[in-house]
Amino acid sequence: MATAMDRKLWAQWQQEIEKTPPSPRPATTVSGMPIEPLYTPDNLEGFEYETELGYPGQFPYTRGIHASMYRGRLWTMRQFAGFGTARQTNERFRFLVEKGQTGLSTAFDLPTLMGLDSDDPRSLGEVGRLGVAVDTIDDMRQLFSEIDIGKLSVSMTINAPAVVVMAFYLANAQDRGFEWRHLRGTIQNDTLKEFHAQNEIYFPPEPSVRLAIDLIEFCTHHVPQWNPVSVSGYHIREAGSTAAQELAFTLADGFHYIDQCLARGLKVDDFAPRLSFFFNAHNDLFEEVAKYRAARAVWADRLRNHYGARNEASWKLRFHAQTAGCSLQDKQPEVNLIRVAYQSLAAVLGGCQSLHTNSMDETLALPSEHAVTLALRTQQVLAHETGVANTVDPLGGSYFVESLTRQMQQEAHRYFDAIEQLGGMLAAIDRGFFRREIAEAAFAYQREVDAKHKLIVGVNAYQEPDEKPLEILTIDHAVESEQIESLKRVKNQRSNDEVRRTLDAVRRAAAAHENVMPTLLETVRARTTVGEVMHALADVYGRCDSAVV
Amino acid sequence: MDNQPPLRIVLAKVGLDGHDRGVKVVTRALRDAGFHVIYPGLWQSPESVVRTVADEDADWLGISLLSGTHMTLVPRIMQMLQAAGLRHVGVLVGGIIPEADVPKLLAVGVARIFGPGTPLGEIIEFLRAQGSRTHA
Amino acid sequence: MLDELLARFQARDRLALARLLTLVARGEQLEAIRAALSPKNETTPVVAITGNAGVGKSTLVGKLAEVLRAEGKSVAILACDPQSPLTGGALLGDRARMPTHPEDPGLYIRSLAAPSGHQAVAQHVDLMIRMVAQFGFDVIVVETVGAGQGDIAVRELADVVVLLVQPESGDDLQWEKAGLLEIADVVVIHKADLPGAERLESQVRELLSLPGCREIAVLRVSSAKQTGLTELWSTIASCPRRSTLIEPDGQVLLRHAQQVLAERFQDRAGSVGHVVDRWKRHELDVTQAADELLHVLAR
Repeated sequence: MATAMDRKLWAQWQQEIEKTPPSPRPATTVSGMPIEPLYTPDNLEGFEYETELGYPGQFPYTRGIHASMYRGRLWTMRQFAGFGTARQTNERFRFLVEKGQTGLSTAFDLPTLMGLDSDDPRSLGEVGRLGVAVDTIDDMRQLFSEIDIGKLSVSMTINAPAVVVMAFYLANAQDRGFEWRHLRGTIQNDTLKEFHAQNEIYFPPEPSVRLAIDLIEFCTHHVPQWNPVSVSGYHIREAGSTAAQELAFTLADGFHYIDQCLARGLKVDDFAPRLSFFFNAHNDLFEEVAKYRAARAVWADRLRNHYGARNEASWKLRFHAQTAGCSLQDKQPEVNLIRVAYQSLAAVLGGCQSLHTNSMDETLALPSEHAVTLALRTQQVLAHETGVANTVDPLGGSYFVESLTRQMQQEAHRYFDAIEQLGGMLAAIDRGFFRREIAEAAFAYQREVDAKHKLIVGVNAYQEPDEKPLEILTIDHAVESEQIESLKRVKNQRSNDEVRRTLDAVRRAAAAHENVMPTLLETVRARTTVGEVMHALADVYGRCDSAVV
Repeated sequence: MDNQPPLRIVLAKVGLDGHDRGVKVVTRALRDAGFHVIYPGLWQSPESVVRTVADEDADWLGISLLSGTHMTLVPRIMQMLQAAGLRHVGVLVGGIIPEADVPKLLAVGVARIFGPGTPLGEIIEFLRAQGSRTHA
Repeated sequence: MLDELLARFQARDRLALARLLTLVARGEQLEAIRAALSPKNETTPVVAITGNAGVGKSTLVGKLAEVLRAEGKSVAILACDPQSPLTGGALLGDRARMPTHPEDPGLYIRSLAAPSGHQAVAQHVDLMIRMVAQFGFDVIVVETVGAGQGDIAVRELADVVVLLVQPESGDDLQWEKAGLLEIADVVVIHKADLPGAERLESQVRELLSLPGCREIAVLRVSSAKQTGLTELWSTIASCPRRSTLIEPDGQVLLRHAQQVLAERFQDRAGSVGHVVDRWKRHELDVTQAADELLHVLAR
């Protein structure tokens, strides 16, 4: 509370700033949230350190989920990779492991992400282009060949066909003699955000969620160290949402998964500790930091007080961050290095557990090796040269950051209410609520940029008349035919009776509302393809053939 | 404002990439600028794009792609438009197109390429200036 | 130019059909096009699909089209979306929810902008219907913008009007009640896989059991689960044609004459307005004004 004396001084300051010519437009964050010229204790009425912040490693984890944060262990620098055939990506993986990388992160190509085989006509031109092509268990075997997946943690970014790809992974691991209970890694398996933003969609929303829960349930029982879902705000933000929408929609998705797991009869403390998150790291430093801090506090509160989780691990929101692809520009691409550096600073000041830094040339093509190295170096400089890892939550207690953190939490709750009013997650999806909200925000932002109310270096300000193009990586088109050939070989070698029999079993399990994972493990061993398995599931679940404005 | 009937433009996402932020923003901007925007949805094949353009009697076709498949898909679409008797339809490409591919796309008949960060006003002005070759 | 288009149209050139529809949508060459068509082909059924925004009209139209194609019937869909009153712009996104079978000549989808106000369909849809019928499509489906209260236009266009409602669409069934009574021949409880479908169905049935109601079929359909679609088509197919039901009615004829007049004398709107203004200012009495009007029109 401000004293009488403070008031007088404050009034003096107020007079002082009124002398400076006012800016024509109020300052706002990247997301359009209005920002005051100054934050003081007045902005934090009723602030209580213990309840709002607490100590790191303690409820509500606003300051971080570990007591010592990066003093104990630095965040994991986890760079996402994948291209061409499984053989090519395996070579890259082994190269990375030799360089001392302790975790692998797999990018799949678009056909795989969409549940299509490489020889599907719709896959034309896309095979192995933006990630690795995986059609059958043979490709999975090749992908991790000679890599010690008992020791390394493996992340796989895949959603609609996540159950199928996980079946490839688990069957292969078992065949190679690795015990499931020792496997560590993450599969994204976040189907809800596909409907909000990312559009890698195969089944209608309800069965999509059912499959995601099948995977969570199966891993809870059999692969206990695995993160069976990475609830992702990243793509929501990339689609143009505000920071608050990213926060709110992601957490709401997480709550929906919890509700569905509980409806299956799982106990919250059995699976909640393994739910992980994935957020965007965008340009607005303070807004981003507030977003991460708010996410932890809201999640912890909900898990403890609404879901009644008793295991502290259930309360802790662990997240991976990736710098914002949508903020990268094709004009003056080296400038992207600077953007990525500030974005990663935000992620680290916000207490991320792992981080991917984008390469400067990503708007132009797949990153070159030079660009990938610089992206990793950005994290290393941050970790070892800037001193940001020396103390926990360095921005904690800033009037500004604490106000923003509060504001973020309020916004999130406002959205939770709105979703509930619409009849819950699936009804809100059906009504296009999330898409509409995100599209509105994206449009509003573009208008601000076009009107030069927001300046972007090299794009609507400080342009260079004659730019030299960057050297970019071009991909070998032979990948597509090589992959299709190897798929043909698999199809010739396998037993068609086994294929039919095991796919029928998948259909039966799906129709009986059983967990499909056991039948998937069986069918992938009969060397069925992603496309075939997805088809079989769609025979029961139906297909979602449109995603709409 | 003159009394020209509104231009009809098909904005299509082709291929598998689902990044529709750009196409949605452009859709909205063109609608607000008085165009009739036909949006056939994601994952369009070259065949379905051409069919849409034909049946909708569009003046313009805007193709959005970000996955790098433009050199496979755009020439195909151009060829199919010609074969379908739709040479008069103007074609725009939006998305990530490396510098080196720009002349190749212009050579197959693309009227203009709009890269990331193009101000919406630029697209609108371009279309207004060009008008319709369908209803010339 | 128009003659050539019409000749190509008669020769079943799809591009000519598309171009002629554009002309009609713009209100150009209406008379000439109308004159070139043979009298309305009474045998082609016209189905209107109406209902509030978000109820799944486009999706259902798409699924219905697939059912019809499976039966070997060709389908033309005229899908209407609203036009902005301020800019005249429109986002025509209905076809995004419909199937794309580019190789199938038996499916035609045309997106149309309906003028703002209370219009449920685009202008001159009646003429467009005749055109696609004459082109040879077996069934014509008109998707409205989202029905407003008592949208008579839709009723006059179509043989069968299908009204879509969905569970949890809010507590207000009031306009739908009016809509049910005035225009619908079939009520579809859409998204029937959602909770509340059964309750909604009984609510609708209750409304329809009120005395004085026409016989209206009610059925549950889920486009997502692909249920009830073939039943929907057989229900539609068994509905009596509106055109055979309606007794020749002077009102209808007058309304039509009015429309033809409006079209034909569009270019003289100024002179007509002038006469009307003078009448309003009491410079002319009503008989004089009528005389003047006839004068203007006969010029």
